[in-house]
Amino acid sequence: MKPAIQIIGQILRGGISVIVAIMVGGATISFAQESVSVRATLMTGGVPVDDPSAAAWSSAPPATFPMSPQVHWQNRIQEVTVKDVIVRALHDGNQMAVLIEYADPTQDPDDAAALEFMVGDKKAHFAHGQPMLQVEGGPVNIWFWKNKTDKGVDMSAKGFGTLKPQEHQDVKAKGAYSNGTWKVVFSRNLSTGHPEEDVQITPGQFISIAFAVWDGRKDGAGELVEKGSQKAVSSWWYFRADAPPDYSGYMYAAIAAALALGFQFVLIRKLKKGQ
Amino acid sequence: MGALGKPIILMVAMYVFIKFVLPNIPGSAPLPSSLIALYLLLTGSGIVIFQTLSKESKDAFWGPMQRFLTGENLGGLQALRYGVLILFPLLVGWQTYGSTAVSDLPPIESRTIHPAPPGEYTGLSNPVAKTPDNIMQGKGFYAAYCSPCHGGNFDGKGPAARGFVPAPANFADPTTIAMLQESYLFWRIKKGGVGLPIEGTPWKSAMPRWEVELPDEWIWKIIMGEYDGAHQSPRTWE
Ligand code: HEC
Ligand code: HEM
Repeated sequence: MKPAIQIIGQILRGGISVIVAIMVGGATISFAQESVSVRATLMTGGVPVDDPSAAAWSSAPPATFPMSPQVHWQNRIQEVTVKDVIVRALHDGNQMAVLIEYADPTQDPDDAAALEFMVGDKKAHFAHGQPMLQVEGGPVNIWFWKNKTDKGVDMSAKGFGTLKPQEHQDVKAKGAYSNGTWKVVFSRNLSTGHPEEDVQITPGQFISIAFAVWDGRKDGAGELVEKGSQKAVSSWWYFRADAPPDYSGYMYAAIAAALALGFQFVLIRKLKKGQ
Repeated sequence: MGALGKPIILMVAMYVFIKFVLPNIPGSAPLPSSLIALYLLLTGSGIVIFQTLSKESKDAFWGPMQRFLTGENLGGLQALRYGVLILFPLLVGWQTYGSTAVSDLPPIESRTIHPAPPGEYTGLSNPVAKTPDNIMQGKGFYAAYCSPCHGGNFDGKGPAARGFVPAPANFADPTTIAMLQESYLFWRIKKGGVGLPIEGTPWKSAMPRWEVELPDEWIWKIIMGEYDGAHQSPRTWE
């Protein structure tokens, strides 16, 4: 019996040192990891739902997303003004607001920007939820802002040619232009009564989001260069509203520390007795 | 029994406590299995070490260790001993906190780059004659339709590529078209990203469904031009 226990003991001693090494190493690895997503920071009250310049935005971490000219489908465009968008988001558990910011040298009435979300559990193609051939897709919810009207339109689409404003308009939007930069804030309640057509935001959950921007400049003939399908688009990225803080981790940590302390205590007592 | 009985009972009691009693304490939740394993490991290693120590305490390895832990005749090292005794539980607590913290990272979606094509797209051969003229034509179509994403140099770095994730394929890379048969390319070009099966994450792909705009013959010519331009040749064996 004794030798076996001794061997187990030795293995465990080795094991513990390995675990400690992993603990120290693992913690540094998780700090180094980084990934791009829109994180809606939780704040208490006063989400700046129609103020693109509110001070509160500085508490939301910015994330930058690259844009492409839309060359995926007919009525393409080979070059667009906007190359990147910077996105921030805030929420208070009830309302949420997304701020999209981008460089545009001129302010035009036809400047426009939009957010797109997947709706429900089914995956939707980032180009308006166009049908996929082997996978059953879902709809998308598009929030559309135009400088001309300076308000948000709450829209649905499931494929090209299907995009239309919803019966229930739940989205607000407001833009502010200064120093060659547009800042547009979109806002809505986290949840609405229409889960079939509106994205429902549950704090803590990752949701797919995409962006589109139109520079409303005109060419020499007075025609709009960017309109409809001719625009800057992004791929799908992740959006998440931060969940309220969860303190249970501290409790588990305290239990583990207490266990380790107790272990030390008993060990030392045992050792002292043994001598 | 005897030497093993008590430890086993202790371990079972610990498990029952962690698994069934702890989650019912207000403000707590069921523990993740990794945590349960860590707690049990700590308890278990404690038990085994006592058992070995009570009998083997004069072990050469454990002698100095024991003196250090019990703090007898340590002198100047006493402070270090307290440091270790305080640090170890803190470290365990810290790690436990880290392992329970909710991940801030988005879900990782794995993507199969070359999923199996539908049956009707296996084993087709290019019906277009491989003449310099046809290859030229294919390259012309490529320049018009494909190069904005896949690049004039066939490297996937076209002027429209930057925003698309996954990125447009780099045909000069030996892991794209060089690994594939012409038949497979015909399927991918005709049906595009939306033609992929679920493991290819079709909802993310910007690859157009070219059957909507280009006749089959053009697609076969483009395939020729693409291989020629990228200095690759199709995989021919079955
Ligand atoms: C809008 C950008 C875009 C355009 C234009 C485009 N592609 Fe693609 N293509 C992609 C992307 C993104 C991928 C990678 C995702 C995928 O496999 O669906 C891809 C993948 C492919 C693949 C699969 C390569 C592999 O290793 O699996 C082939 C073949 C291909 N494209 C050929 C073409 C041809 C030929 C054209 C022109 C007729 C073309 N593409 C035009 C974006 C584009
Ligand atoms: C490659 C991706 C995309 C393609 C091919 C595409 C294509 C199109 C097309 C063909 C139209 C004309 C209307 C229709 O067909 O219903 C359109 C309009 C529109 N799209 Fe997209 N789109 C893409 C991405 C996006 C994204 C990501 C968004 C939102 C973030 C978006 C928002 C809109 C809006 C709001 C309109 C209406 C514009 C207006 O009325 O002036 N699109 N798009």
